[in-house]
Amino acid sequence: MRRDRSAIKNSIPAISRELCAKLLGDLEKAKRPILYATKCALDNAIYNHKVGYLTPGDKKVATELNVSSVKKMSRAIFMLEVILRNIDSGAVNTKRELYYIGKGEIKGSSKLKPLDFQDQDESDETIDFVCEILECYREDLNCYANDRGGQTYSQQLIVTETLADGEQAVIELSKLGTSPFMPKNRPQNLSLSVSKKIDFCLIVESEGTANTLVANGFTKRHNAIVVGAQGVPSNSVRGWCKLIQEQLKVPLYFFGDLDAYTMQNIYRTLKAGSAASLIRNQDYSAPEVKFLGVLPQDIAKYDLFDYPVKENDAQEVRALKKADDALKNDPFFQDKRNKGSAEILKWLLKNKRRCEQQAFFSVDPKDPTMPEKIIIDKIKSGSYV
Amino acid sequence: MARDNKITTSSTAEYFSKNLQQVGFSSLTKAVLTTLKEAVDNALDACEEHGILPDLKIIIERLGAGTMKNSERIRVRVEDNGPGIEADDLPKVFGEYLASSKFGRGRCTRGQQGIGISAATTWAQLTCAMGARVISKTKAQRKAVSAIIEVDIKNNRGNMKQRETIDWDRVHGTLVEFTFDGRVQVNGEAGILNYLLGTSLVNPHLSMEYKLVDQEPQSIERVSSVIPAIPEAIEPHPHTMKLGEFMAHSHLYGKIKVDAWLKKAFSRVGDSVLEEMIKSGQGVNRTLLSKSLDQANEKDFLTLFTTLQNMVLKAPPTSSVLSIGEDSLSKSIKRLGKVDFFSVVSRSPTICDFKPVQIEVAIARLEERVTEVDAPAQVLRFANRVPLQFDKSACAIVQAITSVNWRSYGLAQPKESLPLGPYIMAVSVVSPFIKFKNASKETIDASDELVEEIRRALMQAGQKLSRYIKAESKAAELEEKTRYIEQFGPILVEGLVRITKAKDDQKKRATDGLMKILGRDATETKNEVAVAAKRLEEVSGEER
Ligand SMILES: Nc1ncnc2c1ncn2[C@@H]1O[C@H](COP(=O)(O)OP(=O)(O)OP(=O)(O)O)[C@@H](O)[C@H]1O
Ligand SMILES: [Mg+2]
Repeated sequence: MRRDRSAIKNSIPAISRELCAKLLGDLEKAKRPILYATKCALDNAIYNHKVGYLTPGDKKVATELNVSSVKKMSRAIFMLEVILRNIDSGAVNTKRELYYIGKGEIKGSSKLKPLDFQDQDESDETIDFVCEILECYREDLNCYANDRGGQTYSQQLIVTETLADGEQAVIELSKLGTSPFMPKNRPQNLSLSVSKKIDFCLIVESEGTANTLVANGFTKRHNAIVVGAQGVPSNSVRGWCKLIQEQLKVPLYFFGDLDAYTMQNIYRTLKAGSAASLIRNQDYSAPEVKFLGVLPQDIAKYDLFDYPVKENDAQEVRALKKADDALKNDPFFQDKRNKGSAEILKWLLKNKRRCEQQAFFSVDPKDPTMPEKIIIDKIKSGSYV
Repeated sequence: MARDNKITTSSTAEYFSKNLQQVGFSSLTKAVLTTLKEAVDNALDACEEHGILPDLKIIIERLGAGTMKNSERIRVRVEDNGPGIEADDLPKVFGEYLASSKFGRGRCTRGQQGIGISAATTWAQLTCAMGARVISKTKAQRKAVSAIIEVDIKNNRGNMKQRETIDWDRVHGTLVEFTFDGRVQVNGEAGILNYLLGTSLVNPHLSMEYKLVDQEPQSIERVSSVIPAIPEAIEPHPHTMKLGEFMAHSHLYGKIKVDAWLKKAFSRVGDSVLEEMIKSGQGVNRTLLSKSLDQANEKDFLTLFTTLQNMVLKAPPTSSVLSIGEDSLSKSIKRLGKVDFFSVVSRSPTICDFKPVQIEVAIARLEERVTEVDAPAQVLRFANRVPLQFDKSACAIVQAITSVNWRSYGLAQPKESLPLGPYIMAVSVVSPFIKFKNASKETIDASDELVEEIRRALMQAGQKLSRYIKAESKAAELEEKTRYIEQFGPILVEGLVRITKAKDDQKKRATDGLMKILGRDATETKNEVAVAAKRLEEVSGEER
């Protein structure tokens, strides 16, 4: 089932040429070429707990060449040419850089003028379209986002990175002091090993709180990996967690706020991917991750400060509405295996209250390690879903 | 307007001279417009009455500073080729209030009451101590009469001064000239130009030359030589009246019997209706009906009035309204400027609030305004072919326009507002009994029935218009598609050729193929354009 990324990546030039030859052949016959791309939307998302992440159904979006799509297709072929040149030379770029490279090319040729991008959204759209028709990741095209999040701390973890020129770099995280290791956006090029057995990986929603836990000695006292997610996990964070799950086979726990947004957007994306990224969830989700809290029962158990959802806060109200939709339409929350997560969503909808991860600091204000104690206690006693 | 019978003839002039703001002299700019308007209305009415195609000459001049604060001394001169006025009638026409040949009943004339031109004389007299200067000649006269007419305010009488007999190289006609304090506003919604253009729109048979202050002289030629025939008068319908108006109406008839009065003075009241009034048992009996009208007291009128109100009466006939006609409007609208396209709708006469009424609508898109896409459409309102230029928001016409969903016809429109763009929307309401919101006759009362009738006319016009707009956007689409093909086709093929390292002959075949494919798309659009154009032709065919 698992596709070999490096094989796919190496075959991009061949696949591209094949596709272009087909287009050209169709044109020679005055036949309308049609490009098919996977439909990336919730109504084409399938969830099977044995697979563990959202996978695409068989709905396709067809783009037929006609007067209204000729611009979009010309742009795609133009961008593809730029990208193939990059792959050939081993150069990498961010989306923004590709935007400027595109503009630079167009500036140099008056013939290309009609293609010109008005803003980066237009070139981003073109890059995404190229990914869709080649059915590959943006990273396969040597295009990397400057992803945020994923700051990682551990006393046992050793990362080996294969560089573009084939050389290898070895990073021992225990030697970084208080600085975190950043996986950045190429988890594919990393391989993991340990100096001592690691017991678990803790992914913390707030990067600040992750840092506090480590500063107060979390990784000194426990053989663990601590990762800061920094909100909705970027591709980098998602791919990194997948790598940890895959290569170290340690349990993963997610620690974040008790609210609809965290459950639905942050935790679900980390565990099973998202509908918008159906074709990449395979390598960008960590299905083993568990939700450690804050759990609804923690509020009473630890006497935590919680507060009502503000009825006039548009963002919070929208999150609740989306939670309601998710319970009805999201195959992830409908699966029996994720009943625990669905129950939390229902509880949130019913009680309209929320509680933040930092509330654990109120339990014993004089003891800075109290949150750590609670987290360890929860892991040991199986207090997670 | 309710005629207040308490105004005795002798105090009428005094009353109006103190209340000139009620009849259009409420500001310096309005004084100029109203003076012009009263003179032009009269000229057009007189020509129509006598079957003459009107030729007007209008001059408005600034003579220097006026006596009032911020005012200018203005001279307004209007010359017509109408029937002329008998010398003996001149003091009556220009110097006496309520002296009118059209006096207020049931005809679609512009003037109705015999107030207009005397008010202009009064204003000139009050601000510049000078009456109206008149030259007039009838067909029967060999020479013309020239005179100054003043209003004797105390006695509501006209005084003629400096009367002379002069040579005038006209077969017949009238020239009036007023010198008074005012301010000239040429442009804008309430400007003189707007009044003149509006007047030319709804009077296709009018030719005029005009010179406004320091502007170049202009002329507008007639586009129709058909003189509108003003249909015979009808009497008001009882259901259109309030008790006070009902009683006032009786004073016009003197000493006839009540039953004769009812039959004569109202439409749709005949013998059978009188019988029914008695039968209905609401207090009307034969004694009351055979009473002399001048003997009837307030209680009698109340009995008659309420009985009539409670009865089902036939609606009045619609034969009394006058229409401009789609054909003439179509020609006339082109006089407003260079028109891209337009649509006109002439509704059949109908009844609203028991009054016969006819609505006509003309909408045009003006070429010279195409840049004004964000400005609201210009609205021209007409009541009995007289432009209305003030107090537009409460007017039935504007309320009807804003109630239409213009977006469905391809026009931009903010919610419940006037549509936007380089359009002129002209709406004409013609009726022998137009109900105005105020005494200065600037806003048509927005009754539900009238607004609905106007709305229907507008929607019909909108539908016709949308065919032009659609044809146009289809044509634009075709243009864009053609441009797209020319621009992107080669880029696409060349890109594919570079990536696949294809040969030249492949490139040529692919280029031909692509052009064929995209050409098919363009042909499809071309066909749509042709269909839209054909539909348009059908419409204009119907209009012809
Ligand atoms: N230019 C003219 N040529 C011929 N007759 C005229 C001319 N101007 C006015 N008259 C006559 O003088 C009468 C009085 O005019 P005036 O403007 O005072 O009243 P009106 O037009 O009947 O009503 P309104 O007060 O509504 O204007 C008219 O009814 C018409 O018979
Ligand atoms: Mg008049």
